[in-house]
Amino acid sequence: MTALLAGLLLLVAATGTGVVLSRRPERQVMAMAANGLALALLFAALQAPDVAFSQLVVGTAAVPLLFLAVLASIRLHRPEERPGDRPEKGA
Amino acid sequence: MSRRARGILAAIAALALAPGALAVVRAMPPLGDHPLPYGDAVNRVAPAERAVSNMVTAVNFDLRGFDTLGEEVMLLAAVVGAVVVLRGARGEGVGDRPARCGSRPIPPRSDAVVLLCRMTAPLTLIYGLYVVLHAALTPGGGFQGGAIIGSGLVLVWLGEGYNAWRRMVPGVVLHALEGGGAGLYALAGFGAMLTGAAYLANMLPLGDWGSILSGGMIPVVNFGVGLAVSGAFGMLFLEFLEETREPEKGEEQ
Repeated sequence: MTALLAGLLLLVAATGTGVVLSRRPERQVMAMAANGLALALLFAALQAPDVAFSQLVVGTAAVPLLFLAVLASIRLHRPEERPGDRPEKGA
Repeated sequence: MSRRARGILAAIAALALAPGALAVVRAMPPLGDHPLPYGDAVNRVAPAERAVSNMVTAVNFDLRGFDTLGEEVMLLAAVVGAVVVLRGARGEGVGDRPARCGSRPIPPRSDAVVLLCRMTAPLTLIYGLYVVLHAALTPGGGFQGGAIIGSGLVLVWLGEGYNAWRRMVPGVVLHALEGGGAGLYALAGFGAMLTGAAYLANMLPLGDWGSILSGGMIPVVNFGVGLAVSGAFGMLFLEFLEETREPEKGEEQ
């Protein structure tokens, strides 16, 4: 295993941990997009460019956008919840 | 359940799963090893018999073209289902005003965002078309290119705002792309049957290796997938962004 692959695997693990540790939904969406980008780089380094392409457009662009649209829609139809509210502990 | 109890439960579960995980890790083939014969077989067969240089495209659109038709119909069904659910809750009426959250004003887009989107959106759309058309030659293909075109449509929304986006990207065109692309794929299979061959058999002239039209039927069905996927992503984005729009009083909701 080369240093490039090792570094990318660590990057995937780090960004994946970031997804789990972010608590606010909109930050979590961005963390998920970063994780998708790290995965796309890993696939490209493993010589699977077609999979890297799919991962990049679906995992980094399409899915986060749909999540953000859903979050915006939830805010819109329940305006009494303020955007800065944190999710309940232990929920 | 308290935080402490959850931690203890997670530790017990991890300990119970550890031997199994360890056994799997020890039994895994080394990195880069490919003991199965299929990859080598495709590398041998596809350039010689189909004249294409992208083996993934050869597998997707020829060697297992019928499976890809199933995936295509699956995407069509998923997108149509999402559209039906969203419109069922919202009604079919569409408007051209962006959402407002309470009485909060909509912040104007910064000039930097508009400039960046005007530069990148056309390039993204053209690059998506390039990826669709070069499926037989270079990495990528109908699905990837179509999804890139969908991302380009979103850049138009980001740069030009909701109103201009709805004028430039009519829903009817996206519906036609989605249905027409999937139809092209299915009908191409029947076209092969007209010559007496099996469904989706590659009956067109193969062309030269390295040419954009190489692969016989592959460019045709790949173009169908490209159309359908760009339409599908466009429809999904359009319906989801429509959800963030606030209807005016008395308007269909």
